[in-house]
Amino acid sequence: MIEIRLELPLAGSDLRVEAELPAAVTAVMGPSGAGKTSLLEAIAGLRRRARGRIACSGAVFLDTERGVDVASEQRRVGYVPQDAGLFPHLTALGNVRFGARGDGGRVETAIDTLDLRPLLARRPASLSGGEKQRVALARALATSPRLLLLDEPLAALDVELKERVLPYLMRIRDEWKVPMLYVTHNVGEALALAGHVLLLRNRRVEAQGRPLDLLSSPGLTGEAEAGIENLLPGRVLAHDATGGVSRVELQGGIPLSVPLAATRPVGAPVMVAIRAEDVLVSSAPVKGLSARNVYEARVEALERTGIDVTLMCALPAAPSPWLARVTPAAVEALGLKAGQPVWLAIKSHSVRLL
Amino acid sequence: MLSRDEAQVVFFTLEVAALATILIFPLALAAALALARYRGAGKGALETILSLPLILPPTAVGLLLLEALSRRSLLGSWLAAHGLEIVFTWKAVVLATGVMSFPLLVRSARTAFEEVDPRLVGLARTLGCGRATAFYRVTLPLAWRGVLAGTVLAFARALGEFGATVMVAGNIPGRTRTLALAIFHDNQVGRDDRAVVLAGVTVALAFVALWTTELLSRRLGGRAEE
Amino acid sequence: MRTALFVLLALLSIPGAGSGEDVTVFAAASLSDALEEIARGYEQASGNKVVLNVGATSDLARQIQAGAAADLFFSADRAQMDVLEKTGLVRGADRVELLSNVLVVVVPAAAPTRVGSPADLASLRRIALADPEAVPAGVYARTYLESIGMWSALRDRVIPTLNVRAALAAVESGNADAGIVYRTDAASSRRVRVAFTVPPESGPKIVYVLAPLATPRRPAALDLARRLGGPEARAVFEKHGFRVLAPR
Repeated sequence: MIEIRLELPLAGSDLRVEAELPAAVTAVMGPSGAGKTSLLEAIAGLRRRARGRIACSGAVFLDTERGVDVASEQRRVGYVPQDAGLFPHLTALGNVRFGARGDGGRVETAIDTLDLRPLLARRPASLSGGEKQRVALARALATSPRLLLLDEPLAALDVELKERVLPYLMRIRDEWKVPMLYVTHNVGEALALAGHVLLLRNRRVEAQGRPLDLLSSPGLTGEAEAGIENLLPGRVLAHDATGGVSRVELQGGIPLSVPLAATRPVGAPVMVAIRAEDVLVSSAPVKGLSARNVYEARVEALERTGIDVTLMCALPAAPSPWLARVTPAAVEALGLKAGQPVWLAIKSHSVRLL
Repeated sequence: MLSRDEAQVVFFTLEVAALATILIFPLALAAALALARYRGAGKGALETILSLPLILPPTAVGLLLLEALSRRSLLGSWLAAHGLEIVFTWKAVVLATGVMSFPLLVRSARTAFEEVDPRLVGLARTLGCGRATAFYRVTLPLAWRGVLAGTVLAFARALGEFGATVMVAGNIPGRTRTLALAIFHDNQVGRDDRAVVLAGVTVALAFVALWTTELLSRRLGGRAEE
Repeated sequence: MRTALFVLLALLSIPGAGSGEDVTVFAAASLSDALEEIARGYEQASGNKVVLNVGATSDLARQIQAGAAADLFFSADRAQMDVLEKTGLVRGADRVELLSNVLVVVVPAAAPTRVGSPADLASLRRIALADPEAVPAGVYARTYLESIGMWSALRDRVIPTLNVRAALAAVESGNADAGIVYRTDAASSRRVRVAFTVPPESGPKIVYVLAPLATPRRPAALDLARRLGGPEARAVFEKHGFRVLAPR
């Protein structure tokens, strides 16, 4: 639980945030200039003019009334900025080890979690954007932080790289169990990672709540980006070489056929990515379709995202809704509306294993 | 080539310049850091005061030092009471050369520190470094080239210091006579031939100093860029 | 508008102090006070301007040899004048030995230092002299100390200064425990007192020599040189403590 009651003087108007963040991952969203980075910096202890109260899982960082203002180096908050902020004079290993105090174990685990072994001897100048971000993440993790602050960590990466790094973030959330504040413009990332959303506008909190509830909020609509919409964890069930497919079981026991991935051992965990555009929607049960993956679902909500419409569809067994993107014409033709039962079809070729 | 006395002058000059540089080093870095990071009121005044020895005539600086150390001043009477003599001793040479070289080192170091992305320092803090540790582990390693250049510059300036030195330390053979003072003295007493030889030595020393920086800078800089 | 132009022209046509010439005098530092007084009187009377460059005689001689423009050279010893004569910058016939002086040992006025005789100097830590290698006052002082056998004992305590007035200043400020300067210098300062006087008979022969430079040898310069040997100047020199030598 993160308590924030913050007042921070800034050029322009002051930042005022009052929020209680319950979840493991909170997505902080909002237009540029809304104060997201300043909020993170204040929590990290890098803004001396911050006033109010900030507490994380019981540890008080700031309490102006009681004269408490813990120095940044004592807050144990990991910060990952947008451009990774690696120390150019150190190797990747040097960077990761930077804050770890004799705890070699955490360093090794961080390196493994982020798959950094082959990169350790290299200098930041020779690393790609995605590699830099992973090093920055490991560096923050190696200090066993109480809280991770990520400032648009994937913004500088292209779509493919984003898809490669995002699973690491999920791994951190699930395996390391460190609470995270995650600034992003990307709805897909927020949906994939966050259990709570904090929406800032004009240096104030405009809304906060569950990602699902806020999806129709105008603030989020404006920031929506194409990208990964459906990120589904699962594990490999079997490989069918003659059939050219592998079978994966998603959370909730949902079966999924994906292109043959014989290199993945049976039972290995995988992350499955499906673009919302690639999810076909039918208002009637589907028969005789080449697509191997057909599921019954119910439309929970519809939202305009640019020129298209995004449908949030709940599957009976799935823990979170799936997103499908169709044209407004399709919506009209099918008479799609909330509460309506639909059938979703996905070609196995549309599925990517991360 | 050089007489015994002249060789003594050369070594003395090197020793004094080195000592002065070493002594001003921590102070200058602290001042440079303060100027690079501090943004409050009074910064302009501090900058100006620290730069004064650069612009004032060295003799004026020497005179100010002399006044500050004279028995009539607070500092001077304290020193006299404790039997500490500075004027007309090698200590005055170190003082004068240190004061004159100080702003050079501050300037170079400050520019170098300013070029270090302050966000990196902030990151180091979140990773558990206190202010001082962040300086040693991030700012200094990233700014070392500028700091080194400034140090060599300060050393070279100390080698050649004359105006302030002659005012506050005198030109006492064997005790406070540096290369610059020896050249002056030789010229004064009509021994221009020796003055020229000593001037040649200063050129050689300056050459070596600057060439070493160049070499160091390239050798150590090259490795970091691979 | 016309008035402004007129005033401007009038201002521009003033060449300085009257319509006279500049006479440049290079003189020993110890002569500065006396010469300034004499120069003032001369300027009023002649309408010329005296440019006075005082310093260590050896330094001035070097400057003249290096090409500095001077009309008169007033040296504190024969040696420096000899140098200029040897190089043809001064004609032997033009030399006039005008003054003499006496060496004294001075200590800071407020200090309780007891120096009654040369031997007492050995107890002092710092003794200021004009550079004993070349400046006349320092050369005289060294000659004296050598003659009484004290030079080798004292040479390590010597603080050589640029000229005799700088030695005086070192004693005034207390940075030197004592100094050997001319009696005339000691008289000009309230912050030192004379501890003892070097007896003129046992001390070195101090002679101030005046000569015009062979070139340019202008009439105004020769005129000033004559006046420096005249009765009015003589009175001023004596007032400051110099001994005026009888004309040759």
